[in-house]
This record gives sequence, C-alpha cells and structure tokens, in this order.
Amino acid sequence: MDNITNLLGGFQVAIQPLNLVLASFGCFVGTVLGLLPGLGPINGVAIFLPLAFALNLPPESALILLASVYMGCEYGGRISAILLNVPGDASAVMTTVDGHPLALKGRAGVALSISAVSSFVGALVSTIGIVLFAPLLSNWALSFGPAEYFALMVFAVATLGGMLGGKPAKALLGCFIGMSLAMIGIDSGTGVYRLTFGSLHLSDGIQFIVIVIGLFAISEILTMLEQTQAGQNAIKLSGRLLFNAKELASSAMTMLRSAFMGFGIGILPGAGATVASAIAYTTEKRVSDTEGTFGKGDVRGVAAPEAANNASACGSFIPMLTLGVPGSGTTAVMLGALTLYNITPGPLLFESKPDVVWGLIASLFIANVLLVVMNLPLVGLFSRLLSIPNAVLVPAIAAISFIGVYGIHSSTFDLVLMVVLGVFGYILRKLDFPTGPIILGFVLAELMERNLRRALSISDGEIGVLFESPLSIALWVMATLIIALPILLRLRGRRNRNQTVSANDI
Amino acid sequence: MSDRIFSVGWLAVCLVIAVSMWQMEVPFSYEPVGPKAFPLLLAALMTLCCIVLIVRPDAGSISVDSPLLAKGAMLITVLLAYATLFSVLGFPLSTALMVMSVSRIFGGSWATSTVTAASIAVGSFLLFDRLLEVSLPLGGLFG
Repeated sequence: MDNITNLLGGFQVAIQPLNLVLASFGCFVGTVLGLLPGLGPINGVAIFLPLAFALNLPPESALILLASVYMGCEYGGRISAILLNVPGDASAVMTTVDGHPLALKGRAGVALSISAVSSFVGALVSTIGIVLFAPLLSNWALSFGPAEYFALMVFAVATLGGMLGGKPAKALLGCFIGMSLAMIGIDSGTGVYRLTFGSLHLSDGIQFIVIVIGLFAISEILTMLEQTQAGQNAIKLSGRLLFNAKELASSAMTMLRSAFMGFGIGILPGAGATVASAIAYTTEKRVSDTEGTFGKGDVRGVAAPEAANNASACGSFIPMLTLGVPGSGTTAVMLGALTLYNITPGPLLFESKPDVVWGLIASLFIANVLLVVMNLPLVGLFSRLLSIPNAVLVPAIAAISFIGVYGIHSSTFDLVLMVVLGVFGYILRKLDFPTGPIILGFVLAELMERNLRRALSISDGEIGVLFESPLSIALWVMATLIIALPILLRLRGRRNRNQTVSANDI
Repeated sequence: MSDRIFSVGWLAVCLVIAVSMWQMEVPFSYEPVGPKAFPLLLAALMTLCCIVLIVRPDAGSISVDSPLLAKGAMLITVLLAYATLFSVLGFPLSTALMVMSVSRIFGGSWATSTVTAASIAVGSFLLFDRLLEVSLPLGGLFG
C-alpha cells in the first residue's frame, strides 16, 4: 500500500508542467537520437546531461529529462532497424533480423506499429516491476555494510567482464581504465594529490561530464566519419500502418515472455539491453518458431527483442536506484548526474529523496505512454528524419556538446581535455573495447575505494572482514563463477574438439 | 596486432601509475588503507589484462586507409582549434567556423555548410545564451 501512496506522490511531481514539458521533449528527441544510426541511449543521455545541469534544472526534472531520452532511444532504434536494416542503437540489432524482411514485403507499417506496442508492453511490465521490487530491495540493502558493498561492486565488475561481455579481457581492462581516470585528483581521505603530475587543472580531478561527452559524443563524431550516408535506401512506408487483431494476438504472449526476461536481465548489474534482446529473440525462436518463419519476417521476431530491450532499460534503474550500483552504461551516466547534484545514490535514497525517486518512476509511466502515442502516428515524420545528412547533424552535435561542457565551469581546459578524451575513446572503440564498462568503472571507482577503505578501517586492516558475512561470501563466489565458468567451458570445448579431430584423423 | 601494440603502450601507463604512487608522500593517517593501495591494485589488474591481451589478442588489425586518416586528422584539428578558440573568438564566430569546417569534412556542399554554420551559430547562441541563460562567451569582436 505504501508503494501506491508513494507512486501517487511521484505522479504529483511528474505532472508538474515543467516536468511534463521536459518528458515530452525528451521522448521526442530521444526517439530521434535513437533512430539515427550510431547515436544510442548513452550518447543521447550524455549530450543532455550537461545541458540539464547548465540549465539549473532541479534534480528530479533533470532525471526525468534524461530518463525520457533513454526510453525514447530504445523506442527509436527499431525505426532504422526496420526501414534501413541498420540498427539505430546496439540493442536494436535483433530487430533487423525480422523487421527488415517485413519491410521488404511491404509490411513496414505493421512491423513498426507492432514493435511500438511491444516496446510499450516491455517498458510497462518493467516499470510495474520497479514499483513492486525496488522498495523491497532498498530495504534489504540498508543492512549492507561497507564490506558487502565492496563485494557487490566486485560482482558488478565481474558480470561486466564475465559471460555477458563477450570480450572479457577488454571489458575488464576498459572498466579498470575508467577507474584509473577517476583516481586523478585530490584524495578525499588524506588530501594528497594523486596522478595530477603537477597540473593545477587536474587537481580537482576530471569532471564527470568531460569524460562522458568526450567518450560518447566526441568519439562518436569521429566514428561517424566512417559511415556511409544514411537515408538513401530507406524503405518507403506503404500499405497498412497498423497491425490487425490476428497479428496482435499471435505476438501477445511473445511480448509478455520477452518483457519478463528483459526485466530480469536488466536488474543484473552489468548486463544491458543488447544482451536482453538477443536472449529474448533466440528463446522466442526456440519456443514458438514452429513453422520456421523467424528470420523471414515474422511479427513475433520483431515483438520479442523490442519488448525485451525496453524492459531491460527500465529494469536497469533498479540497481541504480536501490543499490547505487548502475546496471548499464546509460544508468551509470545517470548515477553520475545524481552525484553532480550532491545526491548520494543508494538504499537511503528512497527515504531521503522520495520525490526524486518516485517522480522518476512515475515519469517512466508517463514517458512510456507519451512514446507509444507519439510513435504510432508520427512514424512517418520520424522516418523522414533518417535523411538528415551528416553534414548538418555532426556539427550540430559538436556545438551542443561544447555548449554543455562549457556551460558548467566556463573552462577552456575542460574543452581541450574533452577532445583529447574523445580521441582516446575513439582509439579504444576502434580496438573493439566496449565503452559502457569505461564509464561504469569511472562511476564505481570512488564508491569502491571508499567502501574498501571503510571496511578495512573498521577491522583495523584485517583483510578477512571482506569475506566474513554470508552475503559477501555469496557475492564473491558468484563473481568468481561468472569470470571462471566461461573460461572453463571454453577449455572443455577445446578439449572435446581436439578429441573429435583426432578421432577423424584415424 | 593492434591489440598487442595498445597493450604494450598501456603497460607503460601502468608503470607510470605504479611509480608515481610509490613515490607519493602521504601524511600520517590513522586509516590502515592509504591513498596508494587502490591505484596500485588497479595498476596490477590492468597489467594482468594487458598480458592476457598480448598473449591472446583478438584476430585482425585496424585497417586505416589514408583518405580516412587525413579526414580524421583534420576533424581532430578542427575540434581542438574550436576548444582553444571558444572563449577567445567568442561562441558565435568560433562555432560558425567549426560548423563550416566540420560540415565540409562530412561532405556538405559550400552552400549547405554556409547555411548550416550561420543557422547553428546564431540559433544556438540565441537559444542557449539568451533564452535558456547558459552563459556563452561573446568574444572581443562582438563584446
């Protein structure tokens, strides 16, 4: 019952005129950023974070803006996936598999509308999940001591590098690089300068926004140089623009199943929407593809990944809000936004800043409704935006990024540092480093170090305290498993392969 | 191959971090864990990751063709120049110059890039500085 009362309070925050305007604006711009190939949720949130801060928006309004941009991007990614066969953001990769064939058959309108409804269902299920589970989890998390927190963050880092990462060494190295960048500057415990190498500009450390914009906007601009012009071979919308009852009925169960799956994956710290949509698609293919139509243009093949990636995007708010440990790169950026406002994320947030938390949750409901209402009739307008040439788009992104960073400290040094970090980020991306872990590392480093130091000063330097409580032991075991299992499986796979090879030789 | 080059380079960075932490003088503190421990731990973990990448790099190398490299170098130069000239030339002028150059690099015609430059420079100045009160430098020319 408490949850309902709190949620109603949240709606009072979310329906304030300023917040409604911000939510609609965020939804629209988010959809546009999501549909433009290359720009995804993390870039969108990164570009708007400094603006929200420079505009002196109150924290709940800033979060509402960022959350609607985030959700809008998840909605927008499918448009280019279906019409162009190019995923607008990474989590829409699986949407191309059935979405584009549908468009080729002249059923683009059906694919777009069914995926919009799937996105709605996914986000709705997941937001209800937040209302039900987040307060429980935050209550439980209140009993965490520094040692448990440290173990939890080790688990988050391990999930990132482990089986869900694909490239464990690179994901982990990226995360540690982000942590090292966070070490630069004055140490809050002792007041000594670390890794500043005598530079006065670095004594305060690297500003979070400078890192975010450098890594996600500037490096994106450099990456866009390689893309061929978008918008030339987009399929024109024709035929029915809305699905019929039969198509909706056939995919209803798919949406629900995928939504639950996406929610579960979203809660895991470190695993994001891309993983969720891939798992949902392959599961759905196994469960319901009895006639072999998946991959050739099946509406269920569009419904599954879209429901899952939106559910996962919303689900990833749970670890961020309740534990203060972000579940994805994008929520890591939002966590950074909270710290800019001197709000410490974590279990106490629900008690100390209920208007911020519940305002955000309520605005997820509102943004979701706005998005589905916006996306069904306006899809024609959105698809025309695919033809914005890069010659106009890229300089605009550059100008907005510079305005955002300059607007905070009016510092030329920050601008130069941002470009340098952008080039560094570009090199990392060319080397196939995932960028999410870098920002996650940057955000986690301070928390991790603080909790480690606190835990060890409570125990007077005795390191056993980190492995004392059952909860921390469980977290350590899970972290070890998640790193070790894939390696063991690979080794076993190789041995089996070797045996078959030698058997064939004989 | 590129993985190996990067890892060797990053090993050098780890060494710099380790040496700099080692030499740092820390005032007396009551905490058992000082400011050195965590960065040193990170340097050690990164060294481990780099070694893994050197022993087992991902297949393939980055291939860069020279026209792309030239364009990339130009783009970086333009952005660095924009960063340094932002407050010297003022926002409207420096932005117009940046937008014009970037637009040309991305294949815009002279007409497109001129119109884009003028509209973004003036439009965003009016929007952010005047309407939304994010203060932007006007520069000597206009101020």
